[in-house]
Amino acid sequence: MKSKWIDGFMYTVLGFASLFFITPLLYVVLTSFKTENEIFRVPQSLLPDALYTGNYEAIFKASNSFLRYFANSTIITVTGVFIVLVLSALAGYGFARLPFRGSGVMLAAILMTITIPLAVFLVPIYLMEDAWGILNTNLGLILPNVAVVLPFAIFIMRANYIGIPKELEEAALIDGCGIFRTWWNIMLPLVKNGSVIVIIHAFYNIWGEYTLAKSLATKPDAMPLTVGLTLFKGEVWAFGMLSSVIVLSMLPPIIIFLIFQKQLIEGISQGAVKG
Amino acid sequence: MAGSSVNPGKRHGIIALNRRRQWYGFLFVLPAFLFIFAFMLYPVVYSLYMSLHQYNYVFDPSPVFAGFDNYVKALKDPTFRRALENTIVFSFFYFVLVMAVSLVIALMLFHVRRFQSFFRTAIFMPIVVPVSLSALVFLWILQENYGLLNYLLRDVLGWTALARPWLNEGPTAMASIIGVSLWATIGFETILFLGGMQALSREMLEAAVVDGADGIRRIFYVILPNLKETYVITGIWAILHGLKVFVEPNVMTNGGPGNATLVVYQEVYYNAFNRFEMGYASAEAYILAILALAFSLLNMYVNRAKD
Repeated sequence: MKSKWIDGFMYTVLGFASLFFITPLLYVVLTSFKTENEIFRVPQSLLPDALYTGNYEAIFKASNSFLRYFANSTIITVTGVFIVLVLSALAGYGFARLPFRGSGVMLAAILMTITIPLAVFLVPIYLMEDAWGILNTNLGLILPNVAVVLPFAIFIMRANYIGIPKELEEAALIDGCGIFRTWWNIMLPLVKNGSVIVIIHAFYNIWGEYTLAKSLATKPDAMPLTVGLTLFKGEVWAFGMLSSVIVLSMLPPIIIFLIFQKQLIEGISQGAVKG
Repeated sequence: MAGSSVNPGKRHGIIALNRRRQWYGFLFVLPAFLFIFAFMLYPVVYSLYMSLHQYNYVFDPSPVFAGFDNYVKALKDPTFRRALENTIVFSFFYFVLVMAVSLVIALMLFHVRRFQSFFRTAIFMPIVVPVSLSALVFLWILQENYGLLNYLLRDVLGWTALARPWLNEGPTAMASIIGVSLWATIGFETILFLGGMQALSREMLEAAVVDGADGIRRIFYVILPNLKETYVITGIWAILHGLKVFVEPNVMTNGGPGNATLVVYQEVYYNAFNRFEMGYASAEAYILAILALAFSLLNMYVNRAKD
């Protein structure tokens, strides 16, 4: 009897919590289909009067820099995720199975960086990149983003390699398989799960990264959308157009979330770290 | 090359193999390490060096050694002190609320059987949305005349007195930023708490039910006391997140109104990239890092002392 009452209470609270978390996202989607007049109407209506697509069409006008931001984000993220995957698949194996003198210290140093606020790195990275002439370039954002995501990725991959029974590897080595080929042919296919976790986390960390981009890409042409879109909030609130570009920018991470929710959760509980 | 491992002098072969494995290990790790060294380990040291120098990137030809001047200057500067104060206020409220709310939500998700996947999807979804974009959406939701929040308060609930220009007044601006941060991260902390609960042994949970500790009792006598490790992990994460807050105030208020929501991270950013005072900004960043370290250690100590 009593527990039924408690259950009802819990479902109600969780229902309201779900509403709280989902409403802002739904709201921006609904707003993106409203005309300027509807958006500035008082009192407003939650649903658009009709499915107005003008806000999406506005994206393709020449004066709109959204496509530029979107392209930058895509290049930075895809390249960054790829480099993170390759380097962490290599380093994770090295740390898990091929210990060398000093590898323990190296691993500790790498994992320690996770707890340091990014603010400490910003000035040196800026000065370095200015000296190398890669400020305001995609490369200039790819490199530090990779470095920031790598410690977590290495941690995940290392744990995955450690979980593989040693006999498999020894058998391969006795058969005369070289170390590199053992890794490539035998070990790599066995850490698929870890790779998916690494890809997802690297993806949404780099796609959503703001601080590095804000500091290292000050020219609009070089900005990814996390920083570029904030320029749209000007004196004049064109929130119709802004909401359509926000929707398109949120879509890739949300789609990936809906497909890979399990791996995302696994990654968070395994690593307990987020850039 | 592969044939060399089959060596007639077996002992010699094992040593050679071992040495080669070490060498390979180094090569496997090297590329990743170079990245982390160049963009994180070296900058940590360089930033410390910088913090002990007076260096304006635009005006000064090279850094001039200044000892702890930058640190002293920062700690005496009213703006930095205000930023420090705001950061601590933000962190305190954020920490308490994110820990409490996430724990309650996780307990409920752990308890209920139906609609699990719906609840989880809805509550976890904000994690993957770029924070700067959420901040933009909330900027509009909190807008005085056309925003969703005031519309709900005024026109739907009829609580006209509560509707206000949220971001134009110090206290409500700070509260708004804390709120957006909570919205964006409660899902993340909930996952950590849930992970801790799922790691509790099944026998323990079932034994509790047999002993008559069901429902609420099971929560207080069995689940909560056994989450110690999880409290440390979530606690450290929450403290670090609080001290590092940057995106929400940067996008939503830019520190305003006045200096009401100016946080240390923004001060660092402003001094580094608007005034190009690289030495001073580095000292401010180091103060933040030391604070982060101190609070994380404190959290670990408190949770260990409970044993």
